Amino acid sequence: MKKLVALAMALVMMLSVASLALAETPKVKLIVWSFTDELRGMIDKYYVPTHPDVEVEYVLYPTDGSEYRNKLDTVIATAPTGDEAPDVFALEAAFVKYYVNSDITAPLADLGFTDADYANSIPAMVQIGTDSRNGQLKATAWQSTPGAMFYRASLAEKYLGVTTPEEFQEKVKDWDTFMETAEEINEASEGAVKMFNSIGDIWNAYQYNRDAGWVVDGKLNIDPVLYDYLDLTKMAEEEGLYNMGTAWNETWFLGMKSDTTLTYLLPTWGLHYVLKPNCGNYDAATDAKIEGAEGTYGDWRMVDGPVGYSWGGTWLGANAYKAAEADDAKKAVIKEFINFFTLDEDFLYQYAKDSGDFVSNNNVVNKIVAEGGTPNPFLGGQDHYAAFATAANLADGTIMTEYDDAINTLWSDNVTTPYIKGEKDLDTAIADFKAAVAAAFANITVE
Amino acid sequence: MSKLAADSQRRQKRFSKVDYSRYGYYFVAPFFIVFLIFQLYPIFFTFRTSLSDAIGWGKINNSVIIGFQNFKMYLDPASPLFNDFWNSFGNTLIIWTANFIPQILMALLLASWFTDSRMQLKFRGGFKMLIFMPNIITAATIAVLFYSIFNYPIAPANSFLQQAGLMNAPFEFFRSVVASRSLISFVQWWMWYGNTMIILIAGIMGISPELYEAALVDGCTSRQTFYFITLPLIKPILLYNLVTSMIGGLQMFDIPHLLTEGNPNKTTNTVARFIYQQAFTGSRNFNYASAASVILFLFIVLASLTLFWLMRDKDAVRELKRRGR
Repeated sequence: MKKLVALAMALVMMLSVASLALAETPKVKLIVWSFTDELRGMIDKYYVPTHPDVEVEYVLYPTDGSEYRNKLDTVIATAPTGDEAPDVFALEAAFVKYYVNSDITAPLADLGFTDADYANSIPAMVQIGTDSRNGQLKATAWQSTPGAMFYRASLAEKYLGVTTPEEFQEKVKDWDTFMETAEEINEASEGAVKMFNSIGDIWNAYQYNRDAGWVVDGKLNIDPVLYDYLDLTKMAEEEGLYNMGTAWNETWFLGMKSDTTLTYLLPTWGLHYVLKPNCGNYDAATDAKIEGAEGTYGDWRMVDGPVGYSWGGTWLGANAYKAAEADDAKKAVIKEFINFFTLDEDFLYQYAKDSGDFVSNNNVVNKIVAEGGTPNPFLGGQDHYAAFATAANLADGTIMTEYDDAINTLWSDNVTTPYIKGEKDLDTAIADFKAAVAAAFANITVE
Repeated sequence: MSKLAADSQRRQKRFSKVDYSRYGYYFVAPFFIVFLIFQLYPIFFTFRTSLSDAIGWGKINNSVIIGFQNFKMYLDPASPLFNDFWNSFGNTLIIWTANFIPQILMALLLASWFTDSRMQLKFRGGFKMLIFMPNIITAATIAVLFYSIFNYPIAPANSFLQQAGLMNAPFEFFRSVVASRSLISFVQWWMWYGNTMIILIAGIMGISPELYEAALVDGCTSRQTFYFITLPLIKPILLYNLVTSMIGGLQMFDIPHLLTEGNPNKTTNTVARFIYQQAFTGSRNFNYASAASVILFLFIVLASLTLFWLMRDKDAVRELKRRGR
């Protein structure tokens, strides 16, 4: 009995010593805010195993109805350094500019990053993550989301006599040629096949033809090229050159599985999560074609299209208020978190290999392309990684402003739609648009 | 034990019995605490914000009172918000009226049927449940449902109209002012007439059955009982319905926001949507949004008072006056 007690005492002492030893290296807590599960999955899979000394608290608010933004804005306005406030937050393309163009997001240089760290990053993603006011980089992305043009090989051959992607690119090399091709296919197919499905498809790419964004030096800027855009869309509407769809509606998805639409302008994620699952004969469980079913699997090819553009993406930025009062150890953890996910080439390579996602680093992209890339049966064996690799470096991220999301909606509601449908003349539409911008933004000068 | 001690003991006993009333306060306390924090304080904060320069999240906690300047935005025709605001006000009234008149008529009709002892309707409970059902479904679900039904160019409504031979080409419902407003009014009507009906049934059930029995004995028709007994006696309930529906209608937000987003050309933009857009989109103009909320609040107060005054029981007022003088 005595022996047992002595043994128990010894065990207790050993355990307490052991727990003291464990307590000596306390974990650094890092609060990360995001709006999807995506980053959480990446943290669990890649970050936690390699960073045992960091305890990540993941907070998720959905972006629907701007809940994420309202939560973030409120916490920054009330208690930016409080226990609730994030150390690092994820930023979506729709609002990344708002946060990097403000003092909410810390300059990466303050965390110890140098220009060399992101020298190999894809330029558009760096441009978008840069504060337009002073040129400081504030947020970086792990993905790159270049856009491309996808087209139906069989329809192109049948009606246009085009057999290779190179030939097709010649048919859509700029917007004038694009519209000529649109008329050609409409005539050749007697109206059965349209060039594109919705006006929104064109807008996503066309806006990258502008020389400057919506707001320049605090003033509303309507780039002259936008009037060409209105001519183009009006002509498409009047001549019936598109399917009259609206992005994400039934008509839009129908065009993907039937012989009614020739092209779609979609980015990297659009290929995997929009076009492929909606092609009619794709089986998600086996990631392959369903033989015998009706659909368009394998009939799609991709080209750069009339203009290089970017659509979507997720950036990581650090809370400037928390970074300012963090000690060196905490600062190092914040830096490493951003570095690991967005700049670390080993991680990006592994992640690209595992997920097929298109990453933001040219070295990694080129390495994957050099290794033989990713021949994609959905694209008839065409390598989408190689094709996106060229498209990714075409987009100009500098035209993005913090107002884009709101002003794009005002533009489409007040100008594009009413004008091309003949509800308003051009002058009224532009005047209404200017009034709407003035009403929405007290801080933009409208002339 | 002295008499005095016994007395005080008895008094204590009586006292402790009386003291139970404080538990009443404990039970109502949670409501008042929640009300003070989440309703009364925000209301005062809105009034304060409407007088301040709070534009953007950064200024919400350190705004300065600037007086009634924000209200000028809605009173001066040259301001950028004037047209939008009053336009949305008009839209709200049009959409609410178009939904309320059929709603009250339908609810009255159904309520009188369900309470008519001579009709002997079967499956009353089942019918009531079915009629009330749309009110339980969330607005978001209903908006998505109607959006997909009335979409363009390929959607169930258009397919039906074309196959039935009523139309040659697909019709763009959400680009037509009349169709968009009608759809919103219809959804509002469809969601709320069950609710109104239940309240009216409760009102009719509260009428003494003796009156109906007497009417039956006197040989009244169903129509006569409805017009001369039911209708006059549920007037207070009708007034209650009218006022609550007007308050709810002027704050209409979810269906227009989710179904049409104010389109086409802002003709389905409502006041609540205007306030939301000022406060939570663009440059976050909390002060202008609060000023608009205050105007809406004053309008609702005035309109409710007017309704109460118009619908006052004139006979009772006359009777009171006659007796008093």
